[in-house]
Order: sequence, then structure tokens, then C-alpha cells
Amino acid sequence: MNKIKILHMYADMLDLYGDSGNIEIISYRCKMRGIECIVDKYSIDSEQPDFSSYDLIYIGGGADLEQQHISEDLQKCGDGITAAYKNGTFLFLICGGYQLMGKHYRDADGVDIPGLGLFDYYTIAEPNRRKRCIGNVVIRTEFTGKTVDIVGFENHGGQTQGVKTPLGSVLYGHGNCTKSSHEGYFEKNVIATYMHGPCLAKNPELSDYIIGYCLDRDSNEKTVLNDLDDKLEKDCRQVMIDRLLNK
Amino acid sequence: MNGILIIIGKLAVAILRLFKRNAGNLPGIVLWHLTGGKCCKMFRVSCPIIAVTGTNGKTSVTNCIAQLFERSGKKIIINKEGNNLDTGICSLLLRHCSFTGKIDADYLILETDESHVPVVYSQLKLETLVVLNFFRDQLDRNGEMETLIQKINGFCKTFDGNLLLNGDDPNTARLGRANPNNKNVRYFHAEPYAFATKTIFEASEGRFCPFCGEPLEYEYYQYSHIGKFKCGKCGFGDYVPYITAEKIDLEKPVFTADGHEYSPKLNSIYNIYNMTAVAGAAKLYGIGHKITDSVISEYTVNNGRMETFMLGDRRTTLNLAKNPVGANMTLRVMNEMRGEKELLFVLNDNVADGLDVSWIWDINFSVFERVARVITSGTRAYDIAVRIKCSDYPAENIVVRPDLDDAVTELAATDGRKFVIANYTAVQPTRSALKRYIEKHGGKHE
Repeated sequence: MNKIKILHMYADMLDLYGDSGNIEIISYRCKMRGIECIVDKYSIDSEQPDFSSYDLIYIGGGADLEQQHISEDLQKCGDGITAAYKNGTFLFLICGGYQLMGKHYRDADGVDIPGLGLFDYYTIAEPNRRKRCIGNVVIRTEFTGKTVDIVGFENHGGQTQGVKTPLGSVLYGHGNCTKSSHEGYFEKNVIATYMHGPCLAKNPELSDYIIGYCLDRDSNEKTVLNDLDDKLEKDCRQVMIDRLLNK
Repeated sequence: MNGILIIIGKLAVAILRLFKRNAGNLPGIVLWHLTGGKCCKMFRVSCPIIAVTGTNGKTSVTNCIAQLFERSGKKIIINKEGNNLDTGICSLLLRHCSFTGKIDADYLILETDESHVPVVYSQLKLETLVVLNFFRDQLDRNGEMETLIQKINGFCKTFDGNLLLNGDDPNTARLGRANPNNKNVRYFHAEPYAFATKTIFEASEGRFCPFCGEPLEYEYYQYSHIGKFKCGKCGFGDYVPYITAEKIDLEKPVFTADGHEYSPKLNSIYNIYNMTAVAGAAKLYGIGHKITDSVISEYTVNNGRMETFMLGDRRTTLNLAKNPVGANMTLRVMNEMRGEKELLFVLNDNVADGLDVSWIWDINFSVFERVARVITSGTRAYDIAVRIKCSDYPAENIVVRPDLDDAVTELAATDGRKFVIANYTAVQPTRSALKRYIEKHGGKHE
């Protein structure tokens, strides 16, 4: 089946640092390969969709105020998202989306926002708003089976703890907590990360892992995606890696 | 103690001048350390202070308000160089104060960085605060925008001076509710112009009522999230404007405010908002139409804001874009122009730009029309190239030239109309590179 269906949740509220660009990139890479890519949007008080009918659910990041606004609505979607995840839907989660799938998020004012509890981790925001983890970040990942260093931009006060299966190890930047060794959360159908930028911009392997997973979700065959010309993307990443790691 | 601090500060100014260095910020930094962060506190200011803040347009509006008073024969002090942090304002006052810290002027007109409003005006008594707009800009320096608005809102809670707010920006207008006892809150507003839309055109923020979380209802959008909005639930946005720009015609360009027709030089809706704020300040201080008219009709800028260069016979327009709003504006102007054109986009990620460049993903490149080629440059030349490529622009028409001189040479290699967009720290180096090209190969800088 040469088609993927994406549900972009709270696009109008959770869209920091170019997060919506991730969907633009996935759509672009599908289009270049002749894969049909349907993107539906869900926001507060939209009709409850059939979450399991989607191959990919995407949630971006937002400021504290926006996360408070959506948290109540997100609880209403809890059963639907949980069922979809168990059914094999891919979850791609950035920053706030990442935090809200854990047990809870305590914001900078000490207000607890309940998460959906899909995963064991939890997040406590640094109470001092000046002490944020901000800057470029480079992490080493193995999700494709090969070593791939990926580059993004983090800006979070939240300190995420209790992650058992991180996305990668930190080569530059902070990661899940201030000066931590690991970044993000990974399962075969979950990528959760603090990386904005947007995250997929210079990391085509990430985009293609997600697209490949979505295409193969309902079949036993492994789709081989045809190569795209990623020279610009890879040069872009290499410039940053060279600069940040002083190569 | 104050006396000693002031002497140290003045000495710092004198030494820097001796070495022909700009004393814009450094003396203030010295005093900032000596005073434990309260470097503006030692001055004795008895005249009124007017501050201008917001993401876009601060420098223009500050200069115009200063002109209003100067042309009324008042003695003013203004931070012209855009040194708008507490340390910059401290350095300015050091240059103008007596050895006892006394400031001799009729008005202080201060462009003030958004994040520094509470810092500076907890130390100096403010009479009037003009707030223009809040857009995503250099977010990583300030933390998230909401934090920034909260900071200013916190200051406004106890401020009972004049607040002149952009009533068409929900992020700004909300400050009007910070102190319910303040009777001096006023709003400026603009009627729809020819390109106003019913639906939102560019990615933006502030789409929800900050008081009750309901989506805001817009009668029209002028650009980004600026427009006539209202919250259907709590009535936020339902105010009587103090001054309104009407009969806006950007072709001429003209607009009417407070019964008087003005003819500004710059023909953008952004400038109309800025000039409406200026007319609002004039009204507040009882400055007549004649003086206001002369200020508004003469004001123009020449620092990479719609500046023209002739590369040989090839007309080139350079515009600064610090954020998606500014970039989208240039793309609009570019698209409204007939014929083929080429774009050079220069993107840096220096500290003053905010280290993060993800804002380029909020630029709407899908509107590109008749853009034959794109050249990218700057420290993040590749990032902007990838961004434009993913908006479905043919990759083979994108040329990456991180070095600016190479980029300008590449741009000038073909005939036709050229546009250049550069972000904050990229503007001056880009101007220099354009001028170097002209010196070497001919052309003109207008």
C-alpha cells in the first residue's frame, strides 16, 4: 500500500521552533517517491477521530500555557491514542508532545499536568526559568541498525527522568536533563525527542525510518525506499557537526 | 557611593572615546557588575521617560517620537544607536549626566528591549510605555514568548502610567488588563487595508484568548496575527480605540488618523502601524498635527530595510528579516512584482540572532512566483537551502555559497531583478559585500 495517513495533533497550539516543518518534510519526501501522504489535523474539541486508523500520530512542542490548555483535551484522547500505539501506530513526539506521553509534567510554577502515562518517564520543569537547556544538540543513534549522528536544537526547562530506552547518546548539548548523557525516547514505533529545528530537517534517516515503518505497518514485507538526493541535508548536518564537535 | 560609581562610569566612557571606540554598552556593563545588576538606579531623572518596546519597529517609533518633541523645541535624550538593554541605557545616561547623576533634559525617549522593560523601569520612573507587537524573535535568548509577555505583564500590574498598546495584537493588548486600576490604558488600531484577509496567511502565535483559552475570532487579519480580534467568551479585544488609522492606501501611500491625512514615505502595513503609534503618542502629549505630519511624512530608513543597490544594471532590493513576519513581508513584495527574479537569502546564527534558526520554517515559501534561482549564504546557508527545497522548490535551482562575496558574485552573474533577505547580524556584512561588488564591477548604491 503506497499511502500513509498522518494525524497532526494540536498543530495550532503546539508548534514551537519550526515543529510543523516535520510534517512538511515527511510530506515532501513521500511526494518525491510517489507515496500518497494524507495529513489530518486534530485540535481541541475536534470530533474524536479513529486514532488507530492512522499510521503516524505527530505532536509538537508548546509553551507552558499552551500545554496547560491542551492537557485536559489530551486526556479525552487517552484511550484512543493508547489503543493506536498498541495497534502499531507510530508516535512521533517533540518536546511538549514527548513530555505529555509520560506520567506527568510539572511546570515551572509547580503545577502538575497529568500525562497519558503511555511510558514510564516523567518530567519536572526547572523552577528557575532562566536555567533552561538551550542550544544545538548532536546525538549518536543506532535506530537504523547503523550509527547515525543527528543534529537538532533544544530549548526546554523540563527535566525528563526515568527513560529506559533513549533515542541516542549526547555528543553535544544537554539531552533529557541538564548535561545528561542521553536524549529522547525510542521504541520501534515511537520516537520522542527534545530536538526542534525542525528535527527532521537535516536528518533524512529519521524521516525515512518513520516513512518506512508506516508503509510496512500492515504488511510482512519490508519496503525499500528509493534514495533521494539528500546532499543539501547531509552537508547541512555535517557543517554543524564539524563546528560543534570541533572536527 | 553613587558619585564614585558615576566617576568610574564616565572614566570608562572617556577612555573608550580616547581609543575611538563606541561607548555604547561597555561602561554600563562595568557599572552593572559594580552595582549588582542595578546599573540604572544611581541616576536622578526628574523629567518624564517614554519607553518604546515590542519585537518589530522599536527603532523607527522611538526615533519618530523623539522627533515630535525635538521639533516642539524640547531637549530630549534618546538611545539612537539602539543600545536598548539596561547596560546600554546606563551607558547613555552616563554620557549625559552630571557628576551627581542628574539628568538635564525635558524628555528621555528610550527604545527598550522587551525583556529589559521590568529591569530598567523598576529603577527609573516611567511615565509612558508604548508596546508595538510581540512576535517570535530571538526566542532562545528570552525563553519562550509567553515568559516574556508574563515578565512585562508583571511590570504592568503595578504600573499606573500611560500604556499605549497595539490593540490589534492580542499578545500586546492583553497587557491592558494587567492593572485594572490603571485609568491610563489606551489602544491604537488600524482599519483593514487592501491586502487584509479573512483567514490567517502566515504562521503565527497568539491565536487563543490568554484569559479563557477560547480561539479568538478575527474580523480580519492585516498580517500574521495582527488584526481585528475578539474573544467571543470573555470579550477580550472589545475596547474603544484611542486612535485609529483609516482610509489606508499603500499605493500612494496615505492614511488618516484623528481626522488628519498623513503621507508616510514607506508603503508597508507595518509602517502604518508604527506611524499610528507615533500619532497616538503625539495626541497623548498634545503635539499638533503640523509637527506630527512633518515627522511622519519625512521618516525613512536606510539600513538594510528595503534598500536599493544597483549591481551593474541589475536592480537589487535588500531587506532585513529578523523573523518570519519580516521575511514573509519581503516575499510578498517580491511576488507582487512582475517578471522573473532571483533571491539571495543570507542566514546567520550569531548570538544576537538567537542561536536557533528554526524560525525559517515559519516562512511561507510556497508562495514563490517566478523565482528563477535562489542563492543562500551566511553561517547557516545550508539550513535555509534545505528549508526552501522542502517547500517544493526545485533543488537544482538552489545554489549554496556560504561566503558572502561569492554569493553576491553568483547573484550578479545573471540578468534581471534581484532580492536579498538577510537576518539581523547578516545585514551589515551583506551591505558591505554588495558595496564591494559595486566598487569592483560598477553600479550604484542609492
